[in-house]
Order: sequence, then structure tokens, then C-alpha cells
Amino acid sequence: MADSKKPRAAFAPWDRRELPGTFSVEETADRVGQYKWTEMKLFEALGGWVATVPELDIKMRLGTHCYHHAWHAELWHKRLPELREMNPERLTLPANDEFVAFMDAVTEPGEHDQTIEKLVGVYRVLIPHKIAAYTYHLNNTSTITDAPTIRSLKFAIADEVEDFTDGTLMLTSLIETPEEVERANAHQLKLEKLLVASGGICGPGTIGDAYDTSVHVAANGN
Amino acid sequence: MTTTVTPSTFTMVEYDAGVITGIADELADKVGLTGVDIEIEIDETVPLGRNRLESVDPVHIWVESGAFEDAKKFRQFSEVNAADVLGRHLMRAADRRSDAFGNPADDGDLSLEHRAAWDIYTVGRLTRLGYPANRQRWLYDFRNRHGFTDVTDRIFDELWNGTDLTWDRVSALSDEAAASNSGKLNRKPA
Amino acid sequence: MKKLISPEELGRDDRFERADMMDRIADPRNATPPEDSKRGRPGRLTPDRADASDSARALMHGIFVGEIQALEGAGRTCYDFEVGKGDDDVPFELKLDMARQCWDEARHCEISVKLSDWMGTGIGEFSENAFLFQAACNPDPVLRLTGVNRALEGLAIDVFNTMREFGDLAGDPVLEFCEDWMLADEVTHVKMGSDWLRKLTVNDKERQKKALEFQKVVDKLFSFGGLRGEEDDNPIQLARRFRELAGFDDEEMEEIAELSREARAEVEERGRLAREANVQSGV
Repeated sequence: MADSKKPRAAFAPWDRRELPGTFSVEETADRVGQYKWTEMKLFEALGGWVATVPELDIKMRLGTHCYHHAWHAELWHKRLPELREMNPERLTLPANDEFVAFMDAVTEPGEHDQTIEKLVGVYRVLIPHKIAAYTYHLNNTSTITDAPTIRSLKFAIADEVEDFTDGTLMLTSLIETPEEVERANAHQLKLEKLLVASGGICGPGTIGDAYDTSVHVAANGN
Repeated sequence: MTTTVTPSTFTMVEYDAGVITGIADELADKVGLTGVDIEIEIDETVPLGRNRLESVDPVHIWVESGAFEDAKKFRQFSEVNAADVLGRHLMRAADRRSDAFGNPADDGDLSLEHRAAWDIYTVGRLTRLGYPANRQRWLYDFRNRHGFTDVTDRIFDELWNGTDLTWDRVSALSDEAAASNSGKLNRKPA
Repeated sequence: MKKLISPEELGRDDRFERADMMDRIADPRNATPPEDSKRGRPGRLTPDRADASDSARALMHGIFVGEIQALEGAGRTCYDFEVGKGDDDVPFELKLDMARQCWDEARHCEISVKLSDWMGTGIGEFSENAFLFQAACNPDPVLRLTGVNRALEGLAIDVFNTMREFGDLAGDPVLEFCEDWMLADEVTHVKMGSDWLRKLTVNDKERQKKALEFQKVVDKLFSFGGLRGEEDDNPIQLARRFRELAGFDDEEMEEIAELSREARAEVEERGRLAREANVQSGV
């Protein structure tokens, strides 16, 4: 039987978590506030669309997805005071005006015959971008000091991936003609341009800078 | 042999006595109901859908107007619903008039289970005569009367697919299904 | 996407047919009281009614379209109002509750579709009436919440309990199981409505009074002229025990029972007047 008094390493050999992270408390709070703003806009739009989407199965799925994003908004809302922002509304903001324009365009389709546009905006553009942004945050934040954010990010990413799959299935089933392919692609193109102009959910640098070679050099200690 | 629809002109619902007569005549021919007058009395003042076979000589069918109504459009006639209700009553009238079928009690004295079993036997035959029916709807009705058991489902199939069954056989099958039911219903006559 | 839509703007596929409430009201057959029919009043919905399974199927379809409208109503509340402290605004947490309700109602739609399959009913087999959603159109968030979460969802408690008892009596394990689960959700939604009504009007008694008045109007409408009530022959019975769990007190439940009696008396009076008019015009 093991000797319970025998000293053990504080970090066991399988625990490779490290202290350094890319984001400060303030930077994290800013990002979390931007996530919350985006999740709110998304769940509100999904809730609004439920009434105007004629396709029954899609209507019901949007109702389910609406709650997923509301719950993410709640997670981020509760995280803000833990990041020294005692008034969460103060940081519940979009990254920039360009991102507002992007979200306005995503949530703008309201007519019965615009289900393709509604789904393209959410499942081809916004949700893939959120998966990218959340994953970047997850992979770059301090695995020890920012563990609560990591936990929420993991929950959110799990939902986003599942919803992305659902959305892709719905959209694939809706697009049946070459004209509909073009409609979907045209809308996606328009939204992607707006998204690029904004820099993403957190503005420029949402997923870091892949062309910044100094990061790799620093990581190698050179 | 004549078929009479009362009233001959409708004022509260948009039904046509001629159309109803046509449906009834075609059904009577298909179910082998010949040599007897048919009277169809429609209470157009009531939107509910209750209906019953009141006599077999003449064949007298009483319905509330809702029985023939399009479930999607107020006061509009549904040929499918009319054929469903009339088909069952005419088929049962033909059964009652057949010596080979046997002697069921009057409708008012039939138990809900026996009545349901007869309906299944009736609707099954109507589907084979070209009058489509939602099988699941009738299975649900039969289960409600006899219990949600495997025995009930097996007996439903036997009744639905049955040909040349007698009343003794129909009622015996119903009794067998009901005996397998551990439900709480205190059954009473329909 | 525009804010505050009307029932006419709800999205439906071709299987659904909207029933016009005015056609229903103008139906001259309403002049005949059911007891004047050869077979009397249909009575409480129990399995020993001759038309039990077809009535249950029709009610199930009504539940299904009601759930769609409840889903749409909760969804629109997420979207129609901004977060804030003004009279036209709602708290962030209320929106979260409505999003949760959205998910619940989406599940109820799914359950209703499966139950309809089980009972042999097709989607759109019966007409749809959009007056449930009308309660979800009010531009005042407090009135909307009261109309939806206390009146509409309260009706859902009564209907689900009626169906649950129907399933129990018939020995239908699927129906009873599903209705019991949905009933649990509806109790939560009504409680949510009661709690929010209290919180949002704690310093504004006039607004609270107005909301409760609106609820009375909706509750009376949802009594369907005596379809829902506490008399033996009301097909849908007021579910006092579950309403109590949801935050209704005895006085409030008494009031709903009284509203149902009033609604029934009014329908009967309208029928009497229509009969007199028919006699005078020779119909």
C-alpha cells in the first residue's frame, strides 16, 4: 500500500498545464464581453426566426439552438464579474462597427422564403468563425490561471460543433437546384466580406496572426 | 331501392345532398347492400361529429354535420370523411342483414370494445374496396378500447385483414384482447 | 428582421390550414346548444366516451399547433425586446428564460409530432387557429409575459393534465409518460411567468393590475366558451394541483373557474339570441 505521507510532485507527470497565457485579465474580459454580445445577437435572431421559418423541422431545431447560444451568453455574463468587470453590461459590446454590420447582415433576412439565407449566415459563416475564435482562445489562454474560461469555452465549442453539423444537414437538404447553390454562395460571399472587414468576433487578431513568425521563434526560446 | 338524404337542401353547411347520395349509392353497391332503402339524416345544426346506425330496414343513418365536415375548413364538405362514416355504417348494416354474420346486439347495447372490434373489421374491408384509411388511427382506437398490449395488436391485425368473419368471431376476438388488458377502464355500453 | 409580427406572418408549410376565428364565430351551428342535439353534450374527455380516440387525436393536434405557437411566442420575446430598464425593455435574465422556454417548446413540438404519429394523426390534419399566438403579440413585455406564461401556459397545464389522465385511464403508457414530462415543463413556465410578473411590477402596482386584467381577458378567451372549466362536463378540466405548484393561489384559480363559467354562459346566451334571430328570419 502507498505511503500517504510520501511527497508527490504538485503537477503529476501527466499534467502538462502551464502558467503562461496570451491574454491578460483585461484582454480576456474584453473578449468575453464580445462573445456575450455576439451570442446574444445570435440567440435573439434564432428566437425571432423560429416564427417566420415555414419548414417545421428547421423551426424546431432553431428553437433548440436558440437556447444553446443563450446559455453561452449566460456563461460569459457570469464570467465577466470574475474578470473584475462588476458591471457586465459595460463590456457587453461588439468588437467594432464593422462587426455590427456583419451581425446585422446575418440576422437581417426575415421573410418566409429566406430560410437558406438565414441558415447560411449562421451555419456557414458565423458558427464556423465562432468555433475558430473559441478554439484560438482555448489554445492560447493560461491553462492554470484562466481555467474557468477554458471550461466555458469547451462547453460552448461542443455546442457549436454539434449545431454546425445540424445546420449543415439542414442547409444541404434545402439546397436542391443550381440557382439555390448560387443564392447560398452569394449570401455567404457577402457575409464573409463583411466578416473579414471586421477582423472577426474580437476584431483584428481574433485568431491571432498566422504571419507573425516571432511567436514561433519565441516559443522555441531563440 | 332509394337513397334519401335529409335535409335535401342545407342552409348551415355547404353540403350537397346529391353528392352524399352518390357516395352512399356507390358504397352500398360495393359492400353488397342491395334491396333496401337507405335514409341519411344529417343534423346540420350541430357542428359535432357524432353518428350512428339507427335501423337496418330501412337503413337509417343519423349524423351530426361535423361527421362529414372538412377538418380544415369550417362548414365545408369532405368526401373522404363522408365515405369513412357512411362506409362503416353501410358495411355494418350489410353485416346485420346477413344471416351468415350472426346477430349482434343493438348498437346502443354493444360494449365499446365490441363496437371497436367491429369497426376494425369494417374499415379493413373498406380499405380493400378502395376506400383508404389511416391504419394507425384505427389501431389507436382499438388499443384504447382493448389495452396497449401485444395481444391487442395481434388481434387488431386479424380483424383488419379479416374476411367472412362472423359476429361470434369478432366478439370473441374482442373479448380475448380485452382479457389481456390490465387497464383501469370501467367499460360501459357505447 | 422586423420586430413585433402578427399571427398572419407565422411561417407554415402547405400542410397547415389557418382557421379564421371570424368564420368560427359566424358559424350558424353555434346557435344550437349541444344539449339540444340527439346525443347531448360530449362531456369530459375520458376514454369511455364513444368518440374518445378521435377526440383525443383532435385535441393532440390542437396541442401540437399550440406548442408551435408557444415556441414562436417565446422566440419572439427573445427578439422583440431590448435588454434594459425601460417599460419597453426586459432584463437579460428574462430573455435567457425565454430562450430556455424556446427549447422546451421545441421539444414539446417534437413530442407532439411523435404522439400524433402514435395516435394516427397527420401533421395538418386539422385546421390551426392562431389565437394562442395573439397572446404573444402584445408589445408590452409584461402583458405579453402574463398572457403567454400565465394564461397560455396555464391552459397548457390544464390540457396536459387532461391528456395525462386520459392516457392513464386508457392504459396508454406512451401518452401518459409524455404528457407527464410536458406537464413538468409547463409548471416551470407558469412559475417563471408568475415570478417575472412579480419582479417586473414590484414597484408599479398599476402595471401589475393592468397585466392581471389582461390575463383575465386571455384566460376567458382560453376557456373556449366552456371547453375548459371545473364543471363535470367540461372536456378540459382546470388542474388545480399543478397550477398551485406553478404559483397560482386559491383566489386566482377560483377566478379562472368563474371566468370559465362566464365564458360558457356568454356562449349559451349568444346561441339563444342567434336562435331567436333564426326563428324571426325563418331559418
